[in-house]
Amino acid sequence: MPQPTSSLPLRPRPGFVARPVVVTGLAGLLALVAMALVTDAEVLAALVLAAPLTALTLFQARRARQEADRLRAELAQTHVEVAEGALSLPYTSVLNALPDPVMVISAHEPDDLTGRRFVMVNRAGRRVLKIQREAGLLVTAIRDPDVLEVVDEALFGGLEGEAVYEPGGMQERIFRVYARPLGAAGDGSRLALLVLHDETDIRRVERMRADFLANASHELRTPLASLSGFIETLRGHARGDELARDRFLGIMHVQAERMSRLIDDLMSLSRIELNEHVRPLQDVDLSAAVLDVIDALAPLARDKGVTLEAEAPPRGEVTITGDRDQVIQVAQNLVDNALKYSERGGRIRILLETGLAAEACVAPRMEPAARLSLLTPDHGPERYATLSVIDAGPGMQREHLPRLTERFYRVEGQKSGEKLGTGLGLAIVKHIMNRHRGGLSVESRPGAGTVFTAYFPLAETGAAPAPDNFYDVAKLS
Amino acid sequence: MNEHIVKAYEDELNMLTAECARMGGLTEAAVADALEAVVRRDQQVADSVVARDERLDVLQADIERKAIRMIALRQPLANDLRRTVAAMKIANNLERVGDLAKNIAKRTIVIIDSDPMVPLTRSIERMGRLVVTRLKEVLDAYTASDLERAMSVWSRDDEVDEHYNSLFRELLTYMMGDPRTITACAHLLFVAKNLERIGDHATNIAEIIHYEITGDEVIAATRPKTDPLQRP
Repeated sequence: MPQPTSSLPLRPRPGFVARPVVVTGLAGLLALVAMALVTDAEVLAALVLAAPLTALTLFQARRARQEADRLRAELAQTHVEVAEGALSLPYTSVLNALPDPVMVISAHEPDDLTGRRFVMVNRAGRRVLKIQREAGLLVTAIRDPDVLEVVDEALFGGLEGEAVYEPGGMQERIFRVYARPLGAAGDGSRLALLVLHDETDIRRVERMRADFLANASHELRTPLASLSGFIETLRGHARGDELARDRFLGIMHVQAERMSRLIDDLMSLSRIELNEHVRPLQDVDLSAAVLDVIDALAPLARDKGVTLEAEAPPRGEVTITGDRDQVIQVAQNLVDNALKYSERGGRIRILLETGLAAEACVAPRMEPAARLSLLTPDHGPERYATLSVIDAGPGMQREHLPRLTERFYRVEGQKSGEKLGTGLGLAIVKHIMNRHRGGLSVESRPGAGTVFTAYFPLAETGAAPAPDNFYDVAKLS
Repeated sequence: MNEHIVKAYEDELNMLTAECARMGGLTEAAVADALEAVVRRDQQVADSVVARDERLDVLQADIERKAIRMIALRQPLANDLRRTVAAMKIANNLERVGDLAKNIAKRTIVIIDSDPMVPLTRSIERMGRLVVTRLKEVLDAYTASDLERAMSVWSRDDEVDEHYNSLFRELLTYMMGDPRTITACAHLLFVAKNLERIGDHATNIAEIIHYEITGDEVIAATRPKTDPLQRP
């Protein structure tokens, strides 16, 4: 990390300008004294000696003054630059290429709130703190009181400090903030450096381990208890009863399968949550993914006597930014869910629309019905492609809707068919959608059916703009 | 000389916005900490929220005084007047949010005394996070003068209400199931209600931002509103 202060022109020391003047004066004085003391003949010699000396020192004084003027002009320029924002630091391209957000803060007085400004933010910083400008009021970028406190300590106390910062937004991020004093700038303001280090991964791993254990131990206990109960019975009084043994083994098989499904789902959920803040970047053909899922589930639907109807643009027409496997998992979970709650002779419509703004994605697809957004992406200019799965099942009361994506939540009094779900399907869908910076909404009316709508941001059309730091770095070498 | 006066005037306006933003930061932290105190059953965090509330009251009074001084001495017009009034109104809303956060923190004491109710705390946490996000987004919109972002908060007010209604039913089920939980559940109900009110204040702030930027009031009829008491 270069010390930015070193680049700032230093305030010229007072003696630097004054010294040549003093020297000139001394030389002149020396000549006068010499004239007074020595004889006439020597006067000429003294003058000859003094004249070039005076001339030389005068010349030096002028040069020093010019130098001082130049420095002062530079200083004034720096001052203007700081005031208007763009404090130009050396290695700006290097700072911009850094993955961690870096920010330089300047301030004048401790009690002047508007005086605390950020005068440099690198690219990562602008992205994380969602700021467009290179400079501005500090509180418009960071409001967190803990962070403001360590910044103040660095600015006015000259102390190094640390704080934890959560920038908010749909994807939870956690940063450790390091504040470092940079001393005084040329115009008398004080500077501090703020570096944000992403600790999301570490925190997530910590919490995930605890969550996984809690969930797994709680939910696996029931099937495990049932299994060991049957084993005990088979070893005990049902030892010779062949009929009972077949029946018990059947039940045990179902329970064991349920346990293995549960573990699969929990693992899958953990994996998705761990990477939730890392946006997937592949191009995925949404039409193809959805049509593939429908083909795969067609036999199951036939067995249940349910018709699947797809209204989707042909393959290759809708491209989203995502992770293909996870997109398939979303479609599969939603259609699977609809199948579970559909009755024989029922109909499931799978609707694919594209080019919608966020507001249009949550527009009603069933009227009248209770509607709720289960996941709303951060506000942005993106366009979305929506996948709606519309079933004509029993539907739900409004009060169940906010809890649908909760792990292991079950709507009371509803049977999800013979094949009991793990209660994690919609939780998985929600986390995948959040990872994709997408959204999820539900509409339902008891007796009429349910609509789940998942919306993915569309891939940007045309070539993605090359990151400009690429050129900066190239220029350096 | 003239330039100096204008600059001081602009500085004072910026100062009001900056103070509001800082107060917003403190309020956000108070709500987030109050929620954490309830969810993690942490008395220490709860105490710190209660202790910090006074600072918010002082800040609010300070912003109000500065805004009134501004109106009296500078007689701001149009845009500037709206900015001044908006700062004063937002500070009022934030102060109320701080009070609600303090109230949540105070209830922690009783909630900690009871047995933990994991699914309930999870529902509270989910609703609380939604409200914290809402507050954060609206304050971001304020500091960035982003009308569209403020309106996106405003139009999604019903989500918090839905969570509140769902939580209300969940709490009723618990209380009916086991009367020993009634004390804690009643307090959790107030916690939920306070969170819902904080959501309302976020919506209010969004309306103030709309007024500050456009000079018009928001037309209330365009918002989808769900009222649980008037359901068929």
